[in-house]
Amino acid sequence: MLSLAHLDKVYPNGAHALDDVSLDVEAGEIVALVGGSGCGKTTLLRLVSGLEAPTHGEVRVDGEAIFAPHPAIGFVFQEPRLLPWLSVAENIGFGLEHLPPGERRDLVEEALLKVGLAGYGARWPRELSGGQAQRVSIVRALVTRPKVLLMDEPFSALDALTRATLQDHLIALWEASQPTLLLVTHDVEEAAALADRAVVMQPRPGRVFADIPIPLPRPRDRLSPGFVEAKRAVLAALDGSLSQPSGGKSSKGSQSPAGSWW
Amino acid sequence: MQTLSQEPKASTRRGQRADSARPGGGFVYGLILPLAAALLYEGAFRAGLVQARLLPPPSRIAETLWKLAASGELATHVIATLLRVGLGFGLGAAVGVFLGALTGSSALARRLLDPTLQALRAIPSLAWVPLFILWLGIFEPSKIALIAVGCFFPVYLGVMGAIANVDRKIVEVGRAFRLSRLKLARRILLPAILPDTIVALRSGLGLGFMFVVAAEIMGASEGLGYLLVDGQQLGKPDQILAAILCFAVLGKAADWLILAATRPLLSWQDSFARSG
Ligand SMILES: Nc1ncnc2c1ncn2[C@@H]1O[C@H](COP(=O)(O)OP(=O)(O)OP(=O)(O)O)[C@@H](O)[C@H]1O
Ligand SMILES: [Mg+2]
Repeated sequence: MLSLAHLDKVYPNGAHALDDVSLDVEAGEIVALVGGSGCGKTTLLRLVSGLEAPTHGEVRVDGEAIFAPHPAIGFVFQEPRLLPWLSVAENIGFGLEHLPPGERRDLVEEALLKVGLAGYGARWPRELSGGQAQRVSIVRALVTRPKVLLMDEPFSALDALTRATLQDHLIALWEASQPTLLLVTHDVEEAAALADRAVVMQPRPGRVFADIPIPLPRPRDRLSPGFVEAKRAVLAALDGSLSQPSGGKSSKGSQSPAGSWW
Repeated sequence: MQTLSQEPKASTRRGQRADSARPGGGFVYGLILPLAAALLYEGAFRAGLVQARLLPPPSRIAETLWKLAASGELATHVIATLLRVGLGFGLGAAVGVFLGALTGSSALARRLLDPTLQALRAIPSLAWVPLFILWLGIFEPSKIALIAVGCFFPVYLGVMGAIANVDRKIVEVGRAFRLSRLKLARRILLPAILPDTIVALRSGLGLGFMFVVAAEIMGASEGLGYLLVDGQQLGKPDQILAAILCFAVLGKAADWLILAATRPLLSWQDSFARSG
């Protein structure tokens, strides 16, 4: 459904961010992109979104090549990036300008209700907590019903408890329309909690290092042996991705504890 | 559809808190200092402590103002001055906003225009006066041209800088939602530059009042600046002070007008000044 073919990205300053990255994601699949800092996760997401153009290779959604931001693709940035001069409700409705006002209002109300912010529509973004703002930014992207949702470390600025709550919120939101979800994260637990698959990347230049399936049923019990095992497997691959700069693909069983992988 | 844990109901509505950030009677505080100074001086004058020939007491200034107002003269002068400032500021600010927007949003326009405009800015505006008088005569057009030039530069610089400072991350939100260039300008750039643009307009207006005095001192038969010169030539310090007082009130009122007109557009702002 979403297919990345041989993506290369060299920035104008010469930084080689991605080298021959290929990835196929099925409709409705949740894929976590994990990797050390600077391995090109954000770059990959920006290429998929069409905000940035690849040096080589191409991105296709349902067979259609992506050159520029596309209505089927939603993007949630690392920071909420709400527009400070719009109310919370207007922010959520930002991508719904083409709809008649009544329909737009209903969709926004429904979205606010879904993320537990009913009654917050008239507030300014400055009157929200960090977690509330991030929830608003997530529904702003989801309310247009994209087929593909891209998220760049959406919860990394939040404390562990808020993060776990928002991860549950996200899964609940995802279940409503089941978009294909590509999620960048630094957090192994987050990958295990959300994803059907963790793609571990390796830096300098950015490549795919390992592709780890996480075939656990939802809702997931964070204390179950399967969950712990999934976390361990991702952590081990992450560790391997940083200790083998030449890029082997055989580290799934590695037992060494993760060092300073960030 | 699933409903998730509910936050406690938010009860604030926009209307309710519209002015909570600014106490309505705030201007009373601003009056304390000038009124106290006036009363003190009046008292000293009544007690015979000061020589009032060159610095007349407030009561005398008030009397002069009253006489000017009663004869209708004051209105003539105030209207003349306000018309000049209004026209000059309108012209200068309009061109400033236009050129600032152009150079701010287009690198080509900036490279073509900005060096020349910066060089022109380096010329003291009053240096244009002789030329303006030669070109436009000694009456209104040359005065308005001078005021317009004075208002132009702060507005131009302010708008250009405001556009350059728009957060790339916010612009990217617009791109992710596929806004056309026009919509991007209307829905993202315009609101983003509004606060800085208003500051630029306010400083432009301030300069407008500065240059109207210069223009009127150099030759006018009406206007508050004319009252100043007239007061000097006839040795009437009370008239000079009355005109100065009018400038203070008009300048403050004009600035307040800009603030009041734009405050509803800026109630979203999250800045230090709001909480003060
Ligand atoms: N706009 C840019 N211009 C030049 N080089 C860039 C740019 N953005 C990123 N890079 C470089 O590309 C590489 C990948 O960056 P990217 O932001 O994709 O990493 P990341 O995996 O998202 O890292 P992090 O986890 O720290 O966010 C880095 O070496 C970075 O220095
Ligand atoms: Mg990143």
